[in-house]
Amino acid sequence: MIPLWYGILAFMLTVYVVLDGRNFGAGMLHWIVARNSAERRQVIAAIGPLWSWHEVWLVGVGGVMIMAFPKLMSAAFSGYYLALILILWGILLRGISIEVGGHIDDQLWQTFWDAVFVFSNGLLAVLFGAAMGNVVRGAPLAKDGSFFLSFFTNFQVRGPVGLLDWYTLSVAVFCVLVLLAHGATYLVMRTEGPVHDRSVALARRLWVAAVPAFAIITVMTWNVRPELLRGLFERPLAWGAMLVAAAAAFALVTGLLGGHERRALAGSSFLLFGVLLSGAATLYPVMLFSTVDPAASLTAAACASPEQSLRLAIWWWAVALILAFAYLVIIQRHYSGKVNVSKDNQGIY
Amino acid sequence: MADPGIPITDPALWHRIQFAFTITYHYLFPQLTMGLAWFLVFWKWRALRTGEEKYNQAARFWAKIFGLNFAVGVVTGIPMEFQFGTNWAGFSRYSGSVIGQTLAMEGMFAFFLESAFIGALIWGEKRLGPRNHFLAAVGVATGSWLSGSFILITNSFMQHPVGYAFAPDGTLMLANLRDYLLNPWAVVQFAHNQCAALVTGSFVVAAMGAFYQLRGVYATQAQLYLRAGTLVGLISSLLVAFPTGDSQAKMVGHHQPVTLAAMEGRFQGGRLADITVIGQPNVAEQRLENPIPLPGVLSFLAYGTFQSYVRGLNEFPRETWPDNIELLYYAFHLMITLGTIFILIMAWATWSRWRGRLESNPLLLWVLMLSFPFPYIANSLGWMTAELGRQPWLIYGLLRTKEGYSKVVSSGDTIFTLIGFAGLYFVLGLLFLYLVGREIYHGPDEESGAHHGKEALS
Repeated sequence: MIPLWYGILAFMLTVYVVLDGRNFGAGMLHWIVARNSAERRQVIAAIGPLWSWHEVWLVGVGGVMIMAFPKLMSAAFSGYYLALILILWGILLRGISIEVGGHIDDQLWQTFWDAVFVFSNGLLAVLFGAAMGNVVRGAPLAKDGSFFLSFFTNFQVRGPVGLLDWYTLSVAVFCVLVLLAHGATYLVMRTEGPVHDRSVALARRLWVAAVPAFAIITVMTWNVRPELLRGLFERPLAWGAMLVAAAAAFALVTGLLGGHERRALAGSSFLLFGVLLSGAATLYPVMLFSTVDPAASLTAAACASPEQSLRLAIWWWAVALILAFAYLVIIQRHYSGKVNVSKDNQGIY
Repeated sequence: MADPGIPITDPALWHRIQFAFTITYHYLFPQLTMGLAWFLVFWKWRALRTGEEKYNQAARFWAKIFGLNFAVGVVTGIPMEFQFGTNWAGFSRYSGSVIGQTLAMEGMFAFFLESAFIGALIWGEKRLGPRNHFLAAVGVATGSWLSGSFILITNSFMQHPVGYAFAPDGTLMLANLRDYLLNPWAVVQFAHNQCAALVTGSFVVAAMGAFYQLRGVYATQAQLYLRAGTLVGLISSLLVAFPTGDSQAKMVGHHQPVTLAAMEGRFQGGRLADITVIGQPNVAEQRLENPIPLPGVLSFLAYGTFQSYVRGLNEFPRETWPDNIELLYYAFHLMITLGTIFILIMAWATWSRWRGRLESNPLLLWVLMLSFPFPYIANSLGWMTAELGRQPWLIYGLLRTKEGYSKVVSSGDTIFTLIGFAGLYFVLGLLFLYLVGREIYHGPDEESGAHHGKEALS
């Protein structure tokens, strides 16, 4: 049961990153791809109607984490207290900026909320990127399973680390880059006209830039946690996920070059999906690595709920997941294709 | 909490204040969502059956207010779930494998449903067609009530833990999912709380009708809101008191007798226990100042006969007393008073409607217009009663509040984030009032179509 729930948690978190990641990316590109008010409404409309559906995946991750791995939730969430509250505030500002910007047809009002929108998406991309770096690097977990993290300490990756160091900052920058590329790929599919053309050009350049960045991050990760590379070779599941990522990368490249917009987005989504899942498979069974004492690291088995709780939960979880996808299938056809921002179509904004 | 000897730097105090503030603020929005959702369903259904445009118009207008309200509910709700980990790590570690079940279910069953169809409900009238648009309203309403049920099951476990067992390491684990989900406390609390949400919804709807009626605009719509609001208002106000509120009090009497004693400021036990209409508890001298009692009523309400023995606080060890008896007493008594006034107002309105004077009695309209904030206050007071009454326990009889907070988070960190939340929520509140005010000023659209706000300026 424990590996299964580890997989479920990794799966849900990955779905969240893939879905909301395109909103972060599109949000950060907002001012670059959209130069006037009508174009900006187009970007917001591409994100608008489903952002809360995407964010619900994060709520689901929180719920599953407290249910399946309560000791991880209590150690990590209280240890990363200030960073997490900052993420909550960013999420709040992002949601509000999407919702209220279109309510008043006034240039100053919309420019202000567009600024909040860009700022909050950027903040969230950086923080989630840093969070991912932290998951790999670990936290200064003491023997009693607790820690409290500063924003930064000496920028080293071992010992009494902080939220930000040279490694987690690099991951954050890398994350921003990849999410920008992912968001641009999404905008290519959903928009028309100048926004579309700028997104195409950006998506190509950003994905090209992501390749050397990925190589650099891989080398850095090898330096921070050398044992992970060995883990990668020993885990067939990680190879499978890598194969998915490779196939997705191929779809992404041919999709972008050949103008197959749906294929490009599918490629970009499954590329993130594959890379993140292979990472999760590699990290298993350690859920939170200790930078001060590797023996104090929290493994999945150490922070999981009792077997019985996990067994009871798997049934309703499966039913809920099927229902969730059923809802998505029902509503998705209303939101596919190019967005329309004319006033009488009853689309968002 | 403010016992002498507890310093202001006590982290438990600040964790409690932050959670109390963020949850009370958050719940101002879902209570309207849960109440209003069924009004939308009702109007969409009437439109479908009769084909009358006024019902669509009503649904369209209220969907805009619903949408704004829903958005604030979503953004203030996400911090709630994460605070279980950030601020209440001890609680999460101890009981996560039980309460996490319903927290995860809320996300997986309720939020996916709600957030999938909310966009369709607010913007999709033309695209979906009348039938599917009605179904979207049903989906959102069902999702919001499901969400409420999962949260209430979670809270009921904290009030009256059932269906659990102890794991080898001393933490809790789920023993029986059905017992946990069908906690008798949860059944009663769900009925009471959802009726209270309907009270909020109907007072808000009726107040809007009274507002337009008094201004002499949108007469058809005003009549619709007044009639639906006061009818649902009367039924739900009655149901909140009896049988749901009554059962809730009996539940407290049976499972948390010390809480009942504190709620009533009852320091000495005895038969023929009174309910005090007015009075102030004096905890230091263990008596009720200047009370106006109704003898025997508490015995009857709590245990069924006037002769029933009701225990007083002096029969329980001091360390099991709720830690703020005065606040608990005032919260509970004000809630009861307001609930009684709600019944009177709505009975008056219904009687006037029967006499054909609902739309023409200015005094009644003024009262209806101005009374909508009070159900919000009563709902908050009810939750204060539930949460203060459970103290000093976080999970009744199992985990004390002082064992549940995050030990690594200092009081300074929490004060800092509390101030941040207060600032953000203040701005959010202004924004909400401004945007809702615009919609109300703009009023129900005559024709369907353009997105709100646009046509006001063009």
